[in-house]
Amino acid sequence: MSKHLSIITNIILALQVLLLLCCFVDLSHLPTWIIALGKLHPLLLHLPISLIVLNIPLYFITQGSNKPYNSSLIFQTALVYTALLTTITAFAGLLLASNGEYDDQTLFLHKWLSVALAIITHIQIYVFQWLQKNQKALIGLLFITAILMIIGSHHGGTLTHGEDFLNFKSEDKITSQFPVIEDKTTVFEAAVSPIISAKCLSCHNDTKTKGGLNMSNFQSLQKGGKNGAIFTAGNPGASIIIERMLLDMDDKKHMPPRGKSQLTNEELMLFTKWIESGASDKTNYHSLTETDSLKILADQVRGQSTNVTVEQTYNFKSASASTIQELNSPFRRILPLSASSPALSIKFFLKEKFTLSMLEECKSIKEQVVEINLSGMPVDDKALPILTQFENLEKLNLNSTLVSGKNLDELVKLKNLKQLSLTGTTIDIKALNGLSKSSIKTIYLWNTKINETDVASLKKNIPTINWDLGYIPDKNEVLKLTPPKPLNTDQMIIGADENITLKHPLPGVIIKYTTDGSNPDSITGITYKAPVPSSQITRIIAIATRPGWISSETSDYTFFQKGYQVDSVRLINKPEEKYNKNGQTVLIDLKKGFPEILNLNWLGYKEKSFKTGFYFKDDNVKSRIVLSAADNTGAYVFPPTKIIVWGGDNPNKMKMIGSIRPEMPIRYRSNGVIPYIVPIEKGKYKYIEIEAINIQSLPSWHGGKGEKGWVFVDEVFFY
Amino acid sequence: MDNHEKQFRLNVTRRHFLTKAGLGIGSAALGTMLFKDQLFGSSDVASVPLGIAQFAPKAKRIIYLFQNGAPSQLETFDYKPLLNKMHGEELPESIRKGQRLTGMTSNQESFPLVGSTFNFAQYGQSGAWVSELFPHMASIVDEMCIIKSMHTEAINHDPALTFFQTGAQQGNRPSMGAWMSYGLGSENANLPSFTVLLSRGRGNGQGVYSKLWTNGFLDSVHQGVVFSSGEDPVLYLKNPEGHDKESRRAMLDELSQFNAEAFNNFGDPEINTRIQQYEMSYRMQSAVPELTDLSKESDNTIKLYGPDCLVPGTYAANCLLARKLSESGVRFVQLYHQGWDTHGNLANDMRMQAEDVDRASAGLIKDLKQRGLLDETLVIWGGEFGRTNYCQGKIDADNYGRDHHPKCFSIWMAGGGVKPGTVYGETDEFGYNITKDPVSVNDFHATVLHLMGINHEQLTYKHLGRRYRLTDVAGNLVKGIIS
Repeated sequence: MSKHLSIITNIILALQVLLLLCCFVDLSHLPTWIIALGKLHPLLLHLPISLIVLNIPLYFITQGSNKPYNSSLIFQTALVYTALLTTITAFAGLLLASNGEYDDQTLFLHKWLSVALAIITHIQIYVFQWLQKNQKALIGLLFITAILMIIGSHHGGTLTHGEDFLNFKSEDKITSQFPVIEDKTTVFEAAVSPIISAKCLSCHNDTKTKGGLNMSNFQSLQKGGKNGAIFTAGNPGASIIIERMLLDMDDKKHMPPRGKSQLTNEELMLFTKWIESGASDKTNYHSLTETDSLKILADQVRGQSTNVTVEQTYNFKSASASTIQELNSPFRRILPLSASSPALSIKFFLKEKFTLSMLEECKSIKEQVVEINLSGMPVDDKALPILTQFENLEKLNLNSTLVSGKNLDELVKLKNLKQLSLTGTTIDIKALNGLSKSSIKTIYLWNTKINETDVASLKKNIPTINWDLGYIPDKNEVLKLTPPKPLNTDQMIIGADENITLKHPLPGVIIKYTTDGSNPDSITGITYKAPVPSSQITRIIAIATRPGWISSETSDYTFFQKGYQVDSVRLINKPEEKYNKNGQTVLIDLKKGFPEILNLNWLGYKEKSFKTGFYFKDDNVKSRIVLSAADNTGAYVFPPTKIIVWGGDNPNKMKMIGSIRPEMPIRYRSNGVIPYIVPIEKGKYKYIEIEAINIQSLPSWHGGKGEKGWVFVDEVFFY
Repeated sequence: MDNHEKQFRLNVTRRHFLTKAGLGIGSAALGTMLFKDQLFGSSDVASVPLGIAQFAPKAKRIIYLFQNGAPSQLETFDYKPLLNKMHGEELPESIRKGQRLTGMTSNQESFPLVGSTFNFAQYGQSGAWVSELFPHMASIVDEMCIIKSMHTEAINHDPALTFFQTGAQQGNRPSMGAWMSYGLGSENANLPSFTVLLSRGRGNGQGVYSKLWTNGFLDSVHQGVVFSSGEDPVLYLKNPEGHDKESRRAMLDELSQFNAEAFNNFGDPEINTRIQQYEMSYRMQSAVPELTDLSKESDNTIKLYGPDCLVPGTYAANCLLARKLSESGVRFVQLYHQGWDTHGNLANDMRMQAEDVDRASAGLIKDLKQRGLLDETLVIWGGEFGRTNYCQGKIDADNYGRDHHPKCFSIWMAGGGVKPGTVYGETDEFGYNITKDPVSVNDFHATVLHLMGINHEQLTYKHLGRRYRLTDVAGNLVKGIIS
């Protein structure tokens, strides 16, 4: 054996060990350029095929009894190169298969037959070397190799060309031939039967009845196959035919079998619907209503889509995806109208990012753009010459832009423009009159200088355009203002030196307020000019007024200055379980509750009254207490019927020092938080006890009349 | 295999692998802006290209004005004079047919029919009946398509609401808005594609929970983002005191490098989502103030929506904000207005609720129309079910209540692709059963998706071994309402 052949033989050995190893690992993680080498497999495979076949005649030519000695070197070279190329081809095949696109079962056979082939071509070299005398064995081996090669490569062919490729019967292209619908055509004839002919009949016909099933006419179809009827009229779920069609492709029982032309989704649905509707061959196609799903499906299958959406067709080609992608940014969005449409829309976002060049750059897709939305962008008249280059533009939105209208007539050049939005611009009637020869159908003009008289004259001049002036407020309708609000409704407890700020969102509103509990009106109230200084308890009742508007309802807010510091709190009666979120600290945490959110910042009492003691360390003279309670009549939360206050040095040594009876509501009223002020005998109390008794029987006007009401307390202040 | 490696392998899908190997994170972020799946090959979770309408859509955006608590059809759009005639008489069993009732009225001894205390009249060219509570909505009746034959399966608020929003009663499925965001992608990369606005009326309220705007099993970028009514409409969006835009940018740049490295190491797709969300938040810092600034609204706008529109957190303010969000390319703006649960005190509650929503709902339609946006925006108004034709409890001289009724109720839609000036479906004289053209919640979903250019059967997501859709295994197009 020559030196170069033995080197190659060793390389083959090494390659084959590697090949075997590679058979057991997942190659898909290799770098893509290596994986790409797999694509050489379809090219390389022809070389070992030819060599393996060639080896047989070559053997007889070179190894006859009286052939010169060096002729065996020729044959040996052929064998070595056969083994080398077979191995390399097998390698390429493994790489190609690593993307997992192939059918597993066929791939398995092809892979192992080919690996075996590579090994056997390798063995041939040694057999020739060692058994030169035993020629019969070598001949046998050459034939075995060739046969193995044929089987292995057949599976390879199946992988690429499919199972049916080696089918020599001439077969018509499988597309259903649908009959023309006449007056008497049934649904079965119109749509079901043609599908059967195209996709089932080749195995289930008069001569070939696989599974005992003949589908060539309705009667035999009804009869079914060896498993009995194939459908149950009215019940597709119980019909074998549907079951088989729905089975996974890999299932042996799937119909039509793998490799045969499959049913489309619509065809499958048509079958299902047809069986559901009774599987009749009598139903006339014309007897179905337009909205009948059977008719819709039949039409779909017949290629007469009744899809309710009619896509507009365009004559221009799509722009390239890369151009669109390059132009897209968070501030300029280019979108096709739909996945199948070549038409594009452009929309701009974030005015601080906008420049006119962003519009200009879109000229590369000027043919495709049918919608441009510049609303809110700082774009002015300079944009119009650019816009007129978008020849197929249909919809242009210039709402709230700086377009003045002086060159608006340029838009006449756009022959497809149908809709123009100009709301919130400074456009005038002169600009609009220039559009007389335009193709525009509708122009939106709300919130511009254009008024009703202008529109009347525009309509007269250019009747082809629908001039939309939008909402015009009814001059006779007077609206009511919303009430003013304090700056921060979360902060109703304030420091002694803090002022109270009121606000109203509508410019030009005058706020009138009182601090004495009386209701202000536009004349009696104090005009709010600057933040109001606060006292211990400041109740601000305010209204908003503005000429041409109805004054608002009053808003009523009570601000509390922080009172004397409480040292500790003792809950004598426990609140109800559900309304005891923060325990006793809630009463002195300086956080106000909301009358609608009763499970936060509140203590709620129903079975027992509110009864709580407060300890003080200081020596201050206390003269009144304020109990802040919720008022939410709808939720059975009423004012306490009576508040009683005791004071002294400790719970065992105290006397009653004050009480009040709050006024009860006489109908449902709006929710609120009400401060109940109880004046007390002045004194340096170390301990103060307060009881607030809840209403024991709700009044007759209330939905829960006779039942007990609730008392909710969120805070107690001592001054 | 140690746990990290297992985790890594679980996270690597084919799409992901290609992203990582070929294009890198930068282009991944870019790719999400333009149809993801045309770049990375069709995703193995969906069967249609994502991020773009399948066919020409009728509507590009949706504003869903959800009337939470279920407004009564009998005091809004379904006029039943027979109930006034038979006021106080017993509901015939031939009508109820043993229909299941809620625990709130099933123990009731009698079911006295109760007529609407509010008068009805016909409006517009379509001649649709509208109750006197809604004079402004009545004025736009020729823009509206009223469906009187909606029905649902659920009988209580939470399951019914969840069914309407996610296509299933149990929760954990993606919300409608999340499906839209998943299927159609974002129009404006500076704002979330699905936003939620909440308001509360003065009537008897029912809760709304964040599960209603969940992304479910979809990527968390599709989750609804709540805009709140306080000083900061989007929480934590402002830079902390002492940080300017530049330092925030620098911080984000550094942070995204760390995140990119983490992605390289672990391959968790949520890391990429997070990078994108930080970037979007940064841009939202500019985009949101542009939208929520109410100080520049003209008097006409205020009159259109009502003066409440300047008070953040009201329904009117939310309608105005919804228009602005939608105009700025937010695919799905979901409003909830609470307070329609009129078991008792209906006469008062309905009036107060109507005052809150009537002007602003109609104003929104008019505003979209006058800006040339109504044809590309679909507005939906309605609750989660209807209310009974009999009284809950006893009928008072001037007040009554109605229990939950799933068998028929009315909603309306306007704009993007629905037939304007139509009334679809009919109910019987008692307003109890549907007599013509029933529309299920699944049908409603299928139709809404269709109007947005999506075949509801093809927008799927593979999860737990099967493909899910918003309509799951049901839903038919309601062709009668499509223009």
